[in-house]
Amino acid sequence: MFEINEKSNPADPTPSDHGQDILARLQARFGTLESHRQKQDLLRIEVDRDRLLPVLSWLKGDTPFVQLTHLTAVDWIEEDRFELIYLVTAPTLNLTLMIATYIDRQTATAESVFNLWLQAETYEQEINEMFGIDFPGSPRQGVPFILEGWDDMPPMRRDFDTVEYCERTHPERPGREHTDPRTYVGKKFGEKGYLS
Amino acid sequence: MKRFDPDKPWDLTTLPTTAGPDGSVPHAPVVKKADGQDQCFLGAGEVPAAPKLQEAVATIKNWFRANSLNVLAFGTGCGAIELRPLMTSRFDMSRFGITGAPTPRMSNVFIISGYLSTKTLKRVIRSYEQMPNPKWVVALGSCTINGGMYWDSYNTIKVLDLYMPVDVYISGCMPRPEALIAGFQYLMTEIKAGDANGWHHYLENLDWYRENQKQVIKDWDLPDYSW
Repeated sequence: MFEINEKSNPADPTPSDHGQDILARLQARFGTLESHRQKQDLLRIEVDRDRLLPVLSWLKGDTPFVQLTHLTAVDWIEEDRFELIYLVTAPTLNLTLMIATYIDRQTATAESVFNLWLQAETYEQEINEMFGIDFPGSPRQGVPFILEGWDDMPPMRRDFDTVEYCERTHPERPGREHTDPRTYVGKKFGEKGYLS
Repeated sequence: MKRFDPDKPWDLTTLPTTAGPDGSVPHAPVVKKADGQDQCFLGAGEVPAAPKLQEAVATIKNWFRANSLNVLAFGTGCGAIELRPLMTSRFDMSRFGITGAPTPRMSNVFIISGYLSTKTLKRVIRSYEQMPNPKWVVALGSCTINGGMYWDSYNTIKVLDLYMPVDVYISGCMPRPEALIAGFQYLMTEIKAGDANGWHHYLENLDWYRENQKQVIKDWDLPDYSW
């Protein structure tokens, strides 16, 4: 069993550095990994795609990091890739690992972690709908989750033009005025009184 | 005019069609006087009562209706949070004869409380059509009027009265419970005067509403009318 699987003392606000500990063990097992300490209780670790499933299954099986708190994606359209972020929490250590991995934006396919955490089914369904990333083997892929009868490109991709779609689909009430707040306030209170 | 056939209540063509779909002013809720609004409930052989008697009965009926408003428990957006203080002791809407109702079949006021996503719109239409006539819609907040802060959202409708008839709009983001009470008082005045006939307008122009609804609800699987 893993040594850091100990009860953290809730009365002690400064726990021992479990983050460095788990990072050292991860690197000893899986090679060099980029990391960044975001907060006291949040450690970001970048893992390439081949090592993602071994890292996650080792974390869940042999360490206190048993809970998948969140799974989401970021569209880095300039670099032509998606970033997948798995937040894995150790409730006993009060520490969360942000396991980040990059996948190709054109193929947009990633490995499912449904076999590790059953609740990943819902996250993967939502990412599939909102970003168009496919998780083969995950149930409910392609089943509508929030958007019903959606017939356009996935709306969370950054090349989706929200305003254009909205103007095309949802009519606007005639007479609505779009007022630039800066112009309006400047006109009302005088240019000098605003941001001067 | 074809008469209402009680054997075929789903046949909307037998309802009175005094006015056609007024596509000319689609954005303004058209509210008409209640002349003969109860005729659609006449049986096959029944004759409408004398106009004076009809008017007297309608006045009494409207007075009763205005003083027993049952609000459907359906919170669509953030405005639903303003209904809690309205129900409870601080603003106490039961002073005005307004109370809550758990199901569409037991209610006659639908409060659209804030932004409405297209997914919710489908459920709203289903619930609205299940409510017994007469029924009224109170739209809350700027999101229902012109989109509000969701003016560029891909999944939120902007003009509510394209999809269902609205009797009272209450502006604000969010409207305070006092504004809601003022809106309800306005609604009660309208009902007593026989002017709050959005439900009647909905039945008369159902095709026009259906067309608008199907433009945003892409996977349309509702029946012709949810009786």
